[in-house]
Order: sequence, then C-alpha cells, then structure tokens
Amino acid sequence: MSGIHVEGLGKRFGDRTAVEGLSFHVRPGEVFGLLGPNGAGKTTTVRMLTGLLSPSEGEATVWGHRVDRDGEALRKVVGLLTEQPGLYDRLTARENLRFFMKLHELDEAKAWPRAQDYLRRFGLGGRDAEPVGGFSKGMRQKLAIVRTLVHDPQVIFLDEPTSGLDPESARTVRDAVAELASEGRTIVLCSHNLSEVERLCERVGVVKRRLLAIGPVRELRRAGQALDVRVDGEAERFLNVLASLPFAPNVLAEGARLRVMLADEAHAPDVLACLVGAGARVHSAVPAQRPLEEVYLDLLQEGRG
Amino acid sequence: MAFRPRRAMAVFWKDFLDLRKNLGLLVSMAVLPTVMVLVPIGVVWSYVRTPNHADLRSVAMFYDPNLPLGASAARFLIDKTLTDWFGMFLVMPVFVPILIASQSVAGEKERRTLEPLLASPVTAAELVTGKSLAALVPAVVITWAAFICFCVGVDIVAWPLVQMPLMPNALWTFGVFVIAPLFAFFGNGVAVLISARVSEARMAQQLSALVVLPLVGMVGGQVAGFLKAGLAYYALQGAVVLVLDAILLWASIRLLDRERLVSRWG
Ligand SMILES: Nc1ncnc2c1ncn2[C@@H]1O[C@H](COP(=O)(O)OP(=O)(O)OP(=O)(O)O)[C@@H](O)[C@H]1O
Ligand SMILES: [Mg+2]
Repeated sequence: MSGIHVEGLGKRFGDRTAVEGLSFHVRPGEVFGLLGPNGAGKTTTVRMLTGLLSPSEGEATVWGHRVDRDGEALRKVVGLLTEQPGLYDRLTARENLRFFMKLHELDEAKAWPRAQDYLRRFGLGGRDAEPVGGFSKGMRQKLAIVRTLVHDPQVIFLDEPTSGLDPESARTVRDAVAELASEGRTIVLCSHNLSEVERLCERVGVVKRRLLAIGPVRELRRAGQALDVRVDGEAERFLNVLASLPFAPNVLAEGARLRVMLADEAHAPDVLACLVGAGARVHSAVPAQRPLEEVYLDLLQEGRG
Repeated sequence: MAFRPRRAMAVFWKDFLDLRKNLGLLVSMAVLPTVMVLVPIGVVWSYVRTPNHADLRSVAMFYDPNLPLGASAARFLIDKTLTDWFGMFLVMPVFVPILIASQSVAGEKERRTLEPLLASPVTAAELVTGKSLAALVPAVVITWAAFICFCVGVDIVAWPLVQMPLMPNALWTFGVFVIAPLFAFFGNGVAVLISARVSEARMAQQLSALVVLPLVGMVGGQVAGFLKAGLAYYALQGAVVLVLDAILLWASIRLLDRERLVSRWG
C-alpha cells in the first residue's frame, strides 16, 4: 500500500483535543495541501504521521507502514521538514547534512553530490563549510529542506516550507516540490500561503480540529452553479437577452466578462447557444471559481457556527 | 527494534564535533581538572617545604594519636592528603559528564533540534548510547590525563622529602581506572534522565550537579576525622555507585521514549 491512508485519526493532550476523526488518502505523485488556522492541528497531524506522536484514536498507514507500530521502518521512508529548522548552529551546513546521512546509514560518497545539487539550486552552493549559526533565517529554512531530502524519501511532509523565504527562493522551493511529486513521491504540504497551495496542490484538506472540507482545489472553489463567459467586446450588450432565459435568474456583466448563475448546470450549453444566437463571439466559458481565500474563510466561518 | 551501532556512532560523532566547537563548555570543563590537580600539589608542597614544623606533628596527632615518635609527620600528612584527595578527585568524573550530557540532551530540546532528530530512524536506545558515549569518553580521558599530571606533579614536589616516587599508588591506580568510570557513568545517567525531563540545559546542569554534594560531604567527613578513607572505603563507594548505575540504566531504558521526549517540550 503506497501513499498515505488516514482513518479516524485523533490526538488528545490531556483533556485538550488537538485533532479528531481525521480521514483522508494521498496518492503517490500527489501534493496534498493541509490548510487550517493556527492551532488547527496540522503540525500535530504531521507528527502523528511521522511516528513522533502516537495517535489517541484511529489509524494511519504511510507507504505501507502503520504509524503506531512500524515507527523505525516508517521513518526510513519519510522526510519531515519541521516547523522550526532545528539545525546545529556550531556545525557547518555540510556537517549538519552529514549527520543525517549517517543517521540514515547512507553512503556519503553517493548522498553528498545529491545534497550538493540541492544546495546549489537553493543558492547555498559554496557556503557549506560555514557554521550554520551565521546563516540568515531563509538560508536555514532552505538548508532544513535539503536535510529533509538527503535520504531521498518516498513520502515528504513539509510544514510551512516557504515561511521566511524571499519570492525567488520560494519559487525555487515550489519548483523542487513539484518535481519531487512528478517523480512519484507523496507530498503533504502544510501552509498558510493559499496561492502557493493553489499552485502546488491538486487536492486540499481544510482542518480545524476536525476535517472541515476536502477535495480538489477546483471543486472547492466552484462557486455554486455559475458560469463565467468571456466574449468579444462589451459584455453588457448581452444582459437583456440572457435575462429573458428562465433558467438564468441572475446575470452580472463586467468588461468582457459575464457571470451567469444557473438553476441547473445542465443549462450551460443553452446559455452559450443563446449568446451565439445573439451574435456574441465567445472566447471561453468555464464554471465560475471563487478565490480560494474566500472559500477558506467561509469554511472556517461555517466551522465556527 | 534492532539496535544499529552505526546510528549510535553517528550521534556520538555529531555530539563530539559539537563539543569540540563549544568553547564555553570546554573552558568550564578545563577549570575542574586544573583545580583538582593543582590544589593537592600545593598542599603537598607546603608540607615538603617545612617538614620539621612543630605544628605538623599536632595536626598529624589529631588524625592518628598513635603516630610513632620517630615517624615523619610531614610524610604522614602527605599520605593522608593523597588518600583523602581521591574522594575529591572523583567529583571530576561525575561532573564532566553532567556538563556535557545536560548540554547535549536538554540542549537539543532547547534549540529545537530534537524533532528532526527523532524523525530520523534513530531509536531512543541508540540516541542514549551515542549521547552517553559522547559524555563518558571525554570525562574518562580528562580524568586519566589529570591523573597523569597529578602523579608527575606530586612526585616532583615530594621528591626532596621522600626521595622516591609516591604516585601512582595502588589506591589511585585502582580508583582512577575502575572506580572513576563507574562514577562517570553515574553522572551521565543522572544528567540524561534529568535532561529528558526539563527543557533547558542550564536547569538540567544545575539539578544534576546536586549529586556531587554527597561526595564533597564525605570528603568533608574525612578531613574532619569522622571517616577514615582507604582502598576498602573507596571500593565500597564504587560498589554502591555500581548498583546505582544499574538502576539508572534500567530507568533510562524504561523512561526514554520518543513520545515522552516530543510531548514534554516546554
Ligand atoms: N505537546 C503538546 N502538548 C499539549 N498541547 C499541544 C501539544 N502540541 C500541540 N498541542 C495543542 O494542539 C493544538 C494543535 O496544535 P498544532 O501545533 O498541531 O497546530 P497547527 O495547526 O500546526 O498550528 P500553526 O498553524 O500555528 O502551526 C493546539 O491547541 C496546541 O496547543
Ligand atoms: Mg504548525
């Protein structure tokens, strides 16, 4: 069983419930986004899935290893980027990485060139002999990412990977994440950066102690039964003809764009036929999408109620 | 869960490297052996300087009222100093691992390096083994090095009076090679257990350091004349510590697991 399978997972600290009844699956090659406000239980979930905390309830399998039983085998195949970089300040970047290569019992002669590639990519090339204590926040974060990858893990958990990174570095990291996924690795990304999640993740889960929503980003962003149509010229010209349609109770026009609220999705072709009939040149017609941020904030609002 | 020596050695390698670069810790580690070596040499030297001082005899009579008239009081006091000082010298193998192990276990928590470390395949037993070695090896090496300096220093200073090497004697040789490592193991065990419970290296150091108090107290008892030290006396101390070592080892194996370490972050 590859990928990640989570079933009814929960964790209590004393009488505080950090996470409860969490269920989801992540396929190999997928980047799964874990969203949620501060204290929602994202880090706790990731800690359970990497064998650092044992679940109070439910079960989870990561790359075929039960998290509550096969801790050691599990930790060989997962890479965890922790919330805090957690580097040894007095050691050099290279020594920090060598330590983890040794812990994974790797052949350093083979593992080092791979690590060096990442260092170069992240702009740390040539600085590997310096003590990490002198690194900036972003440099530490990038070094911690390289450390997460030294043993070529099959499953990767990234807890806020781009926090503290400049836009260019953030992009380099995103590219690397996308590349790792395309190589068939399973990736879980915790982030507060919604546009990043949108760019990287096919599916997301929104948590706040419980799972509030889960699904493909496009689906979550679907704004009810609405259609966004782009036409040639001013869209306003077609408001009247559309208003006469019985199944399109509400139409908005803005520039060359029309948003048509539908009683039923099945009427989308009729709307287009009507527009074309009225002489419109249609460039595109797509299901209307709301910004992820709006969807996310609404979900949390509902979760509160 | 199999024990992989390579992973334990990785932890040892890292901690030892870190220790070598930790100037502050090295300095505090160097102070103790220096005092432990220089103080008794100074005391011996003061006896050798004025061997016929009348007051020396009174002091010697305090410890041994049956001291023969012909015997040299200075020589008697030198022997007594060397025997008693061994109890003090034992503070070093206890204290050095406390300094190192507190830093290395509680320090990992304090600097948030423990979580990535625990997310690697290393087991709790490998971690404790690697960290303990990184504290024990320097402690034992420092103790032996200090012992060599001590022997050379005492022999040079005492030569004008005794005209023969006093050190190393049977008590010290047995003590430094057998009893001192047992004490080092004890100091390390205490520091590891306490460090796993508290979240600051400083606090771990301060709490662990309390264990040297009974040792100092016993030396006080010797100087006050209540306790008479000798080979058997120290061997008994060693036996008691051996039992304590076994208890500590058992407790560390039982009490140190991942979950406990992770969820006790301050
Ligand atoms: N070791 C612990 N002991 C007690 N409570 C804990 C512990 N770890 C986490 N919690 C609690 O569990 C809840 C979830 O915390 P968690 O760190 O998982 O949140 P998060 O989603 O990662 O938040 P953030 O976005 O701020 O990183 C919080 O209420 C937190 O106080
Ligand atoms: Mg978090």
